[in-house]
Amino acid sequence: MSEEITKAGIISCSGEAIPEGTIARLAVRHVLESLRPGKTVTLCLPLFLAGEEGEQNFAKTHPTIAIDGCPKQCAKWGTEKHSGSIGGEIVVSEILGTTATSCSRSLRGASQVDKDAVLAVAEKIAAEVDRVLAHAGLAKSS
Amino acid sequence: MKDKTNKKPVLVIPCSGIGKVHGLLTREATYLVTDEMAPEQTETMCLGLLVKGEADAVEAVKNQPCITIDGCPKMCAEKNVKSAGGNPIVVEVIDTLKKHPGAKPGSATDLSDEGWDIAREIATKAADTAARLYGGNEGIR
Repeated sequence: MSEEITKAGIISCSGEAIPEGTIARLAVRHVLESLRPGKTVTLCLPLFLAGEEGEQNFAKTHPTIAIDGCPKQCAKWGTEKHSGSIGGEIVVSEILGTTATSCSRSLRGASQVDKDAVLAVAEKIAAEVDRVLAHAGLAKSS
Repeated sequence: MKDKTNKKPVLVIPCSGIGKVHGLLTREATYLVTDEMAPEQTETMCLGLLVKGEADAVEAVKNQPCITIDGCPKMCAEKNVKSAGGNPIVVEVIDTLKKHPGAKPGSATDLSDEGWDIAREIATKAADTAARLYGGNEGIR
């Protein structure tokens, strides 16, 4: 009997140089803690890129979504390099447009605009989690 | 604005590990250094972009003094910067946390007041290191 896939991996770029990296990171945490607890696991990108087999194997065997701050899509690139094709992808700058330019990289400077941006991205991630888990279920049953 | 001399800014690169408060401490300590304590002598860069091999990022870690701030003993920031050709001086969060037994610095999502104090202590250590590296050859391969 094949094992049912009940969890999706989420891997954030957490790009340090841009506000979108902070938004990506916080949105992933919000999905993990509040929107889809029990259905998601965060993968640590630096650990993943440093060669941690546990993280890389999870992404090989579970649908994994890359959350990138900008179109360079470093999280997607790293995941595909080490674990094959990804289940889904989100690019923060494509969701927020120029809104993110007024956001803060540090939590110290976070305003309501930052919080709204995180929630908007988190909702998109949660929807993507539902989609990839439904797809994985369909793939297993077919 | 960066220093107008020809000295290259010191790169401060955190691991930003997402699973524990340690990663958030590295990240916020970095911003305390680059945005508040030493904005003219330091800057940060995206670790993911460096590992991806973007030419400007790789060139920077080879030619600018570099500090990594690592949250746990796996030392991912150090390993990834070294893989890209850099030779970083490492600041370890664990060293500072050991000075605060029983501390509750917060979570991977937010820092407590105690966590901000610890982040500032880590940042001070990194800023002091950056002051030493600035304009020199230490921290460059």
